[in-house]
Amino acid sequence: MSLDRRSFIAGSAALAAPLALPVQVFAQEKIVRFSLPQDFTRIYTFVTSEYNQGQRDYFTLVNDRGGVGGYKIVADITDHANDLPRAIEAYERGKREGAVLIDPLSTPVARALVPRALEDKINMITAYSGRSDAADGSAFPYVLPLSINYWTQAGLIIEQFKKTEKGSLKGKKIVFVHIDTPFGKEPLPILNVLAKKEGYELTAFPYTPPGNDQSAIWPQVRRARPDFVIFWGAGVGQTVALTEAIRNGLPMDRVSGSVWLSESDMDVVGREAAKGVMKVEPCVGGREPKVIKDILADVVGKGKGAGPENKVGTAYYNYGVQMATLMVEGVRKAAEKAPNGPVTGPWLNEGLRSISNFTAEGLLPPTTITKDDHQGGGMGRIARWDGAKFVPITDWFSANQDVVWEEIRKNSDEFKKTGK
Amino acid sequence: MFYRRAGIRHTRYQDERQLFPLGFDRGLIIAVIAILLAAPFLFDRLYVSGYLLPWLIWTSAALGLNLLMGWSGQIHLGYGAVMGIGAYGSVHLVRLGVPLEIAMIAGGLLSATIGTMFGGAALRMKGIYLAMATLAMQYVVDFVISHSSVISGGSLATLQVPAVRFLGIPLQGDLPTYYLAFGVCFVITLFMLNVRRTSFGRALAALREKDYAAQILGISTFRYKLLAFWVSSFIGGVVGSVLAVTYLRAISPDQFHIELSIQILAMIIVGGLGSVLGPFFGTALILFAPILLNNLLGFTAGTLGWSLPIDLRAHLPLMAYGALVIGFLLYEPLGLAKIYANFRNYLLVWPFRHAQR
Repeated sequence: MSLDRRSFIAGSAALAAPLALPVQVFAQEKIVRFSLPQDFTRIYTFVTSEYNQGQRDYFTLVNDRGGVGGYKIVADITDHANDLPRAIEAYERGKREGAVLIDPLSTPVARALVPRALEDKINMITAYSGRSDAADGSAFPYVLPLSINYWTQAGLIIEQFKKTEKGSLKGKKIVFVHIDTPFGKEPLPILNVLAKKEGYELTAFPYTPPGNDQSAIWPQVRRARPDFVIFWGAGVGQTVALTEAIRNGLPMDRVSGSVWLSESDMDVVGREAAKGVMKVEPCVGGREPKVIKDILADVVGKGKGAGPENKVGTAYYNYGVQMATLMVEGVRKAAEKAPNGPVTGPWLNEGLRSISNFTAEGLLPPTTITKDDHQGGGMGRIARWDGAKFVPITDWFSANQDVVWEEIRKNSDEFKKTGK
Repeated sequence: MFYRRAGIRHTRYQDERQLFPLGFDRGLIIAVIAILLAAPFLFDRLYVSGYLLPWLIWTSAALGLNLLMGWSGQIHLGYGAVMGIGAYGSVHLVRLGVPLEIAMIAGGLLSATIGTMFGGAALRMKGIYLAMATLAMQYVVDFVISHSSVISGGSLATLQVPAVRFLGIPLQGDLPTYYLAFGVCFVITLFMLNVRRTSFGRALAALREKDYAAQILGISTFRYKLLAFWVSSFIGGVVGSVLAVTYLRAISPDQFHIELSIQILAMIIVGGLGSVLGPFFGTALILFAPILLNNLLGFTAGTLGWSLPIDLRAHLPLMAYGALVIGFLLYEPLGLAKIYANFRNYLLVWPFRHAQR
């Protein structure tokens, strides 16, 4: 096509219009800026929507009550679609606008941002994502998982199995069905070490990502006649795994997943059929905790909710609230230590790393973040699906932390040696 | 208007043969290079490390793929894997203490070797069948990397890039990394500009048009198909190591999956197959249109006080982005570079209307 005068002028005008977007500059009030670029569109999708909704509702609650320690929370939300250039742009933009905390909720993004966050002294939250060895605060001062990592989750599940078997797993057969990615293989070292320690027999069955067809794997699982099954994946793979487990007649009360199992998954699998399946709960689910009730009354009730009301109190929503309470608690602690700021990464870092015995009025297990332990103590609990909701079957507990920390130190030492 | 072609008479062969015979083009290129060189001092860090750096790196990669797809007409759907091989190869070497300069070249050679092995399929297959073979390469390489913990780096599958030096300058902070990426992009661009004037480039063009016709003309298709894969994979490997060292700083298998291959493929198709300028435009559109549209929507929604549901807020820019890509290709199927060429042609003869020859 050749160019005529009209399209030349129209084209130039169209080109000039979106160039050079102004960066929003806010007046100098007392605010703490969080940057929340997350993946709403590619892989994590509905997980992110629910998680992010919980975060925003909690920030609204805090801000409406006058902020925390004299500071208001400003959260910038954008979509990075799990794409590194987009995530890094969002990170740089956040940094320029004065964000002191970033929560990308994505393992690949967190991996790429680790060196940057450490260099720029910006607190990066890597809840249920990122490097598991970031629990070692001495190696990763600015990377804060603030939640139980996958190794701890595996340790908790094994401990629960042990309890079911009255204290001994000797000679038992545990099958680990996992997505064949680094994320899926992550718990293997812990499961292997524990297999030696506890004397159970571990068989791993990998399925090819993204896991929307696992029909070849599960008959093999059935034939292995396992005493317990752990399935490890995320997104679509989880519901397919559960469906196949049900189809192959595995006893659901001996099947457990990680933290990545929610009410939405159960709707896909069938609420009745999935009865009995277990998951790890890092925080209380449902609408019972006081924080969630407050959100329902003061935020959602007043029409300020960030998303659909029926998502409030679902598993991932509560994870979002959990992380938001920890971030806000970090701000409170930081403001206690240095009320007048200045609000910088190190300022918030001091606060986040001095959170002690924090439960957010009953939403979280007692969480203590120290300069060495960014995992927060490694407490969680096991919940069982009863057909309508996840019912906790244990109290908050921590297990096998010696094995977990050995693995954490092994990896973080490696990072310390070569990472700088 | 700007070009002032009237009265230009070349009196020496060199003048006629130079890359940019028109003074204005030369000036424009020099101006762009000057701006890029001064960019770290002119622009905010956000724009240098958030936009220019990935633009230069992805453009270099797209140029490498364009040599194969645009020049020699061989489809490759596994270019991300080629870059991955280079990245892993060079990062492992650097971790073993090999200087970066050598590791980069070695990473390129490793990519070239493996890439050529898979490229051998091109000797027997064409078009969509070759696409499948290279797609297989993508998955084979992904599989090998993520299943050998020696390569991927332990249970976390993350390989940290250690502190490195390039020609004695430590690659830390924004300046050295940016200039390294710029230098590599500059060299590759220069190579691409010149390659079409060499016998190698002409042989590739002949291959692209009809491989058996080329064979009849005395061009060894065996040799030149493999050579095309070799050169293109070499560039991919070097760019992969630049990507790892200057931008990612920690590599993991998922960074080199099919998404990267498709992204680079999209860049050269939108930019213009077989053009040197095209990848620059294509990369800019594919990398930054989603970001700009996202920010634009966020800014508009913020100023006008819209409260969009977050899912809509996240998906609207993607819809606009899709429409934009389709729109550009409908308007000019030959890519953004052709739109620029039309624009240039228009100005070349301005104020007259017809630039067609």
